[in-house]
Amino acid sequence: MKKYIIAILLLFNFYVYSQDYISYTPSQFTNPFAQPQFVPNISLIADFSYVSRDIRDETYESLEIPAFLHQLIHKHGEHKHAPMNANRGFNLNYAELSLESAVDPYINLMGIFHITEGAFEIEELYFTTRSLPYNIQVKGGKFLSSIGRINSQHQHYWDFVDIPLIYKVLFGDEGLSEKGVQLTWIAPAPFYLLMGTELFQGENEYSFGYESIENNGKIIFYKAPVPNLYTAFVKTSYDIGNLTFLGGFSYLSGKTRFNHLEDQEEPHAFGGNTKIYGFDIFAKYFIDSYKYISFQGEYFYRNLDGFIYKNMNLSNLEKRQGGFYIQTIYRFSQRWRLGFRYDLLNKNEVNGEKITEDLDRYSLMIDFTPSEWTRIRFQYNYDRSKFIEDERKEINEFILEINFAIGAHGAHKF
Amino acid sequence: MRILSIIFLLTVISLTANAKVKVIATYPYIKSIVKEIAKDKVDVSSLSNGKWDPHFVPPRPSLVVKLRNADLLIINGAQLEIGWLPPLIDRANNGKILPGKIGFLDLSTLFDLIQKPQVVSRAFGDVHPQGNPHFYLDPVKISKIAEAITERLCVVDKGNCEFYMDNLKSFKEKWQIKLNEWSEKMKNLKGTFVFEYHRIFDYFFLRYGVNIVGTLEPFPGIPPTTSHLLELIDFAKKHKISFITYAIYNPKNPVQFISKKTGIKPVLLPHDVNSLPQVKDIFFLFNEIVGRLIK
Repeated sequence: MKKYIIAILLLFNFYVYSQDYISYTPSQFTNPFAQPQFVPNISLIADFSYVSRDIRDETYESLEIPAFLHQLIHKHGEHKHAPMNANRGFNLNYAELSLESAVDPYINLMGIFHITEGAFEIEELYFTTRSLPYNIQVKGGKFLSSIGRINSQHQHYWDFVDIPLIYKVLFGDEGLSEKGVQLTWIAPAPFYLLMGTELFQGENEYSFGYESIENNGKIIFYKAPVPNLYTAFVKTSYDIGNLTFLGGFSYLSGKTRFNHLEDQEEPHAFGGNTKIYGFDIFAKYFIDSYKYISFQGEYFYRNLDGFIYKNMNLSNLEKRQGGFYIQTIYRFSQRWRLGFRYDLLNKNEVNGEKITEDLDRYSLMIDFTPSEWTRIRFQYNYDRSKFIEDERKEINEFILEINFAIGAHGAHKF
Repeated sequence: MRILSIIFLLTVISLTANAKVKVIATYPYIKSIVKEIAKDKVDVSSLSNGKWDPHFVPPRPSLVVKLRNADLLIINGAQLEIGWLPPLIDRANNGKILPGKIGFLDLSTLFDLIQKPQVVSRAFGDVHPQGNPHFYLDPVKISKIAEAITERLCVVDKGNCEFYMDNLKSFKEKWQIKLNEWSEKMKNLKGTFVFEYHRIFDYFFLRYGVNIVGTLEPFPGIPPTTSHLLELIDFAKKHKISFITYAIYNPKNPVQFISKKTGIKPVLLPHDVNSLPQVKDIFFLFNEIVGRLIK
């Protein structure tokens, strides 16, 4: 019975189809509503790595940097951001999908989506104005702050696999990415002078936060007024022949709420104000079209001032912390680059008391780019910044990273 | 406060001191043509210095400053600037020079480009979907470029239009004399075979009937590989290749390697104005190319 029904259906289908075919010729098939020319610029970046490390993955996850980070791999309730290179062996770090286009004559829109095996996140989604008068640009949405030098750069544009230590402890693995607005202005000076300011919601869980904190129904810290974080920055640049110099100052100020009341060990909460000062320099000497030597350094200083709630008690807490990285890159042929980076957290005081001696890390990288869209990078880290059970743990780490880009990916800034 | 007052002063100075139209060219050859037409009636400067690979001009913040103040931006186009110019335009926040505005001129739109790929895929290297963008190395095209620049200058700076038209006329006359001279000199090279490093001098060779039978790059923008060079050497043994041409920014080792194995003469050709110290303007550019080839 079933067979017959199928046979009849097939016949009917064929009949209908052949009818259609007789009625129309293919040249008449048009799709007047298709808009293929309006497809935005789409690109996909994929990042994989192979990691070898002289410490077990479980131990690595629970490493800490005293007074900076409780756990290397941060777990706040439900939210667990998949970090890069977390496992020994093979890692699929991320796919980054980006879509970019002009919305209309006035506005550009950019969306960058960070995809990991367990999550699809909006890394950035922002508009920028195209032609406001007086060389002013307004940017709004969710985006990477323009403070410092590398904060607004994506991972695949960094010169090393991982973020510098000072960024990791102050802003986390992706840097400071927030919802808000930005205003920048290129001053009409004969040299490059850019000034900008940003107003952000202030949700970054490493230095800021605004949510109220309660314990057993009792409010310990009230919700901070939002938007909670503002920043200001100045950047300037000069050329001397084939040498380009770029420098900048950054300032950030906002309220802070850390809720670690759910922690197994030493549950606590913090509420207060945070101010961060940053200074960055960059110099690049172009030997020819492909070869260059660059030097880059950034220093950040953080002052966190407020109250800590621990064992049902409130007490004053002030942290004064700072650190920097310096790095140099030598691109010695069209395809090869060599780089060295030195990271140091040199100031770590809580209530005037020194918590740690210098926390340092040394990184060496060499990368090979067979074409503009493939990069194979080898990096070695000698890391003396991590602690376990209040004891310093020296870590050796080898990372082999491979990164691909396909599609229409926009050129990068300087 | 002091900084603010300095900035204010600079603003006033920059607004009052310079009433001339500011033209920014992406490459020195464009700047040279603008100079021929506008003489000292406009301020013109180039973003690239002529020695660099035109595909990879280092995007420096100082270039943003130039774009910020520009009234007219003239680009080569056909995606030659795709790797470095868009973020600079974006950063400059200058509404006058955005694509589609009167202050934006894309020279590639004047011509039908050669070598437009049937299939656009990066499996074939750094392809230009609109075709080969190095059209300006055909000297015959320079007159048309000069016309387009004059036309646009007349819109941006109406007051001096007559002056520009006069200069265009005398430029075209001078250029025609040079064109005759160059085609006379290039006659002997008609029908010869050459290798080149990258497909940059194609329009030039096409004009004078010189055949490009191989490129050192296996695909556009992909550096030469040993196996590809060996193929070229093999080919050169069977055919008479007159030159290997290369630009100043190309690595010399692969050129010398082939030259040593086959005896073919390597010739460094200027690809743009200022690429060599003696190439001071657009006339010198083609004089030098022709001179080096017929030597």
